[in-house]
Amino acid sequence: MKIISETKNKWYIISAVLFLVFCVSGILGITLQVFASATTSLTQTINSGTLSVDIVDASFVTVASPTVALGSASFSFSCQTTTGTFGTASQKIYVSNPDAADGGWSVSLAASDPTNVWDSAGTDFDFNDPTTSGCADGADADSVGGQLTVDPSVGTLAVGECASCVVTNVSLGASASFSEGAVNSITILSGTAASNDIGDWTAIGVSLSQTIPAEQPAASDYDINLVLSIIASS
Amino acid sequence: MYRHHLSLWGILAGLFLICLPSVSMAIEYSGFGGYPAYPQADNSRTESIFVHTLIPGAIQEEGVVVVNNTASSKTLLVYAADSTPSTGGAFACEQLSEPKDDVGAWILLEKSEVMLDSGTSELVPFIITVPAEPAVGEHNGCILIQEKSTGGEQSGKVNISMRTGIRVSITISGEIKRELSITDFSVEKDGDFIFLSPQVKNTGNTSIDTDISVKINSIFGSTKKEFGGNYPVLRGETSIWNYEFKKPFWGGVYVASFTAAYDQNSGAEVGKNTDNTLVSLHSPNIRFFSAPQLPAIFLEISGLALICFLTILVLRVRKNIKIIATTWVKKKIRSGDTIQSIAEKKAISWKKIARANRIKAPYVLKSGQTIIVPPKTKR
Repeated sequence: MKIISETKNKWYIISAVLFLVFCVSGILGITLQVFASATTSLTQTINSGTLSVDIVDASFVTVASPTVALGSASFSFSCQTTTGTFGTASQKIYVSNPDAADGGWSVSLAASDPTNVWDSAGTDFDFNDPTTSGCADGADADSVGGQLTVDPSVGTLAVGECASCVVTNVSLGASASFSEGAVNSITILSGTAASNDIGDWTAIGVSLSQTIPAEQPAASDYDINLVLSIIASS
Repeated sequence: MYRHHLSLWGILAGLFLICLPSVSMAIEYSGFGGYPAYPQADNSRTESIFVHTLIPGAIQEEGVVVVNNTASSKTLLVYAADSTPSTGGAFACEQLSEPKDDVGAWILLEKSEVMLDSGTSELVPFIITVPAEPAVGEHNGCILIQEKSTGGEQSGKVNISMRTGIRVSITISGEIKRELSITDFSVEKDGDFIFLSPQVKNTGNTSIDTDISVKINSIFGSTKKEFGGNYPVLRGETSIWNYEFKKPFWGGVYVASFTAAYDQNSGAEVGKNTDNTLVSLHSPNIRFFSAPQLPAIFLEISGLALICFLTILVLRVRKNIKIIATTWVKKKIRSGDTIQSIAEKKAISWKKIARANRIKAPYVLKSGQTIIVPPKTKR
């Protein structure tokens, strides 16, 4: 009788443990394999890679809201220029091509709308008016002057995390100024078909230079929205 | 009791081992984007971009796979836009806010927005409807994937948002003209670099995949540096490339040349050349001088000075040898003559007599030996 009782207790405990394991595995979303299986099978998913551009920090972690600050300027009766740098050690321009654009790609910078302006409460100035190199208004539809020049050629191009990749056939773009309707998009860097099919690259030190018209009212909240695009182009 | 616990632990360990293999891992590439859902078997380029040759009024079903490989869930906008040239002839796409009047207007996506968890993807079908009377030749547009703005823009700054695009190349059947011309090739010096800028204009009605080759040769013909690659030159656009050549340390005179090669056959299309030989356009050669770098100038001047010094030295030695050979006379050594005594009488260095007669140390002269000496000086 004692043996029967002990055996019954043991099975109760075993049943309780099994029930517990099933519940826990169900909650955790773990699928149990067939009990009869004698071999272990590790499964692994490698998601399809996609061509992408991002702004990352020194550890290649995405920067949530990347920004670029241009040097501050004081009110002036003369046309003046402020400068800044797009792509720094803590906000690197990062291109990843995990075999997704073998024919070539290009990264370009453009305003989210060509009619955009540096916007502040009650006062604006332009980023794409070429009249007297941005010192005066004209040429475009709005009534403000100002012009933004982007010079990627002074930047530094490097391989990202890929140990076996090279920068050969990846190149930084040339200096250019936004001009509404004529230059709406400026090439930051591009990779030809001969660049690494699987690779990642970073660019830092892209020079930005903004012409501010004379007598532009002082304000601390001028901002503009730019879009960095990567296009599988060929 | 001990046995009871043992069997319990055994069961738990067994269950753990059974559960372990079912754990899945995922390797992530960061970033979001997309790729063509239906690549064509005969054109590998369609794995990266959309390429179709269509007739007016045609309807083409297509699809884009939108991928979120970032670490977080994202709401992604999916939209079509017209293409626009970027600087340097690169391909770019217009913005969501801009009006569409070409391929961007021909595309109708089934969805304009997708919500994707980390590591997931979704197929978004779309149709391309070609208008009844489009211009013959190539038209370009884009499918773009952009994160929906969450309003995190900061004032007083340049706010940057990212998007990924895929080119949509639609060629309308008809009289296809594939023609390129070289419009410029310049060589400019700036700081430590020489910039070579070839320029090509597409005068045809379709984009042309072009093999660009820029070579820098020495004046003797050997290639010092070669740049280039295969680039699309878009319909009606001028493409300019900029290549940097670091000024050579030693400087020198160089010859830069530029070749653009492309398939002129109308049967060629994006990603597919015909079997015809490529047509090559050659720019005129540009000869340029690159000044040596500062350390090289120092080394070159030093080397030049050394060469001058050695030349003068050799000339002087040869002149002396000639004088000795033509003017010196033979003298028979008598008892008591030494090289020093003879040199004193002739008023020259004894070393000169020793060198002319190849007399080695200890410079002893034997009676009856014949040597050459300078002639008698006239008094």
